[in-house]
Order: sequence, then structure tokens, then C-alpha cells
Amino acid sequence: MEMDSYRYLNRVTRAAVKAWIKREPYREVPWRPLRKPLAHSTVTLISSVAVAMRDDQPFDQDKERRDPWHPDESYRLIPRDATEQDVHLYHLHINTDFGEQDLDCVMPLRRLKELEQAGEIGRSAPTHYSFQGFVLKPRELLEESVPAMIHRMKAEGVDAAVLVPV
Amino acid sequence: MIPEFTRSVGAPRIAAIAYPMAHPLGAPGDREGQMAVLRATLRALEEAREPAEVVELPFEWPERPGQVHADPAEPPPIARLLARRPWLVAKFLSGDIPEPQDWRAS
Repeated sequence: MEMDSYRYLNRVTRAAVKAWIKREPYREVPWRPLRKPLAHSTVTLISSVAVAMRDDQPFDQDKERRDPWHPDESYRLIPRDATEQDVHLYHLHINTDFGEQDLDCVMPLRRLKELEQAGEIGRSAPTHYSFQGFVLKPRELLEESVPAMIHRMKAEGVDAAVLVPV
Repeated sequence: MIPEFTRSVGAPRIAAIAYPMAHPLGAPGDREGQMAVLRATLRALEEAREPAEVVELPFEWPERPGQVHADPAEPPPIARLLARRPWLVAKFLSGDIPEPQDWRAS
């Protein structure tokens, strides 16, 4: 690998990530080829920035303040037309100003719609998703949130999901 | 972001970009830059041929590490906890995460 992906991490985060990489057990990678060209595919975005619609329940930041080891593991639905005017970002580990100013720099919904208009993807899915990325021991996330997201993706005919970290 | 970590947890395909945290697609208002990153990411999706393949995207962030502002205004709760109780750093690094009801006893 040529690029220095650790370039912008502080020392503590760098040490933590390297330690976590070492201890991850081997797991088989779930993988299948794309069944159809992207130009015919429905694409959804999954962001770990903990974004929620303003009229939806906020992510519970107080839960994480009370127990820093266990943040909110729920998820939120973000409609394809949402912009920064419609949402708030609840992630406590990054500067959310960038995404609050322009949602597309963390969750490129407008860019995805432009690709749809240009015929480069089939369509942007009706629904996109977000959860809080800093979950050290994902239990509710894996047992409840993820299955619910998958269920809805299947109902909407999603062909490809792009996970966008922050 | 951190493709080695993403690969270690089993992501099917990875588009790697050496941008700071907090704005993975690029700067606010930079429509062309964001579009370039998204297009390259989707191209990686189409072109990846093997499980866990990492495609390095050809973008360079213009700021030096000391110039970026990716950190939150206030330290996150875990950082405050580890600063107050540094003996917990070992648990943090080893992934020995306390159960929800046990953290006060640590």
C-alpha cells in the first residue's frame, strides 16, 4: 500500500487503530460480484457520522457521556433529498462543522442524485442510513440496527451500499 | 480513511483515500472534488475483482496534518475518561471493553 492513511491521525488514535488491527480475528469476507452495471443499479449510502433528520429522534449523546464505552447503537433513516438544512450531526469524535455546512462532504446525497441524472447510476435509493461510528463492542448495532437497515434496503431494491466513514 | 483497519474487519471492497477525518468526500462546497471522489469510489466498486480488494484513490489533501481541523471542539467522552483514568488505556487498546454495567467499577 503506497498511501499513508495514518497521516492525519493523532498519536493516540494511530496507536489504538494499529492495536485493534493486530487483534482482529480472521473472518471470511462476504462478497459477490455486482449483478448488474452501476448504470442500472440502485445505490444507497450508509454514513457513520450519526446524522439524523431534525424532526427525528436525536442520537443519544448523553448516553455516551454517561458511559463512554457504549455509545448509542441505533440508526436513522435519511431520505434521498435531505440536505444540511434538514439534519443535525451527532458524532462526538469529529468536527461536525464540515458536514453541518455541506452534508455532501460526509454523505454525498446531492452528488449521488447528480450521478443518477447523468445516467451513471440507476438511481439513488429512496432511503439512506446513518449510525454512530465509534462503537467498540457492537451488539445492538449488529443484532438490531443492521438487520433493520438490510430489510429496508431489500424492500427498496438496493443493489449496492456505499459505507462512508468519517 | 484507514483501509488496513477496514480490511481487517472484513469489508467486501475498499476505496482508500488519504483525507483527514470529518470530510471524507472533500471540502464543503467543493462540488467537483466531492463528485470526483464519489465517482472514483463507485468505479472501485465496479472494478474490484477479489474480496477485500483495496483500491487507492488518486486524491491528495492539500493541508498538512497540523493544519486540519478534524477534531471536535470538545474532547470526546472516551478521551476524557482515559485522561482521568489512564489505567484504562490498556483496556482500550486491547479491546477489552467493560460491560455496560461495569464501567464505574473500572
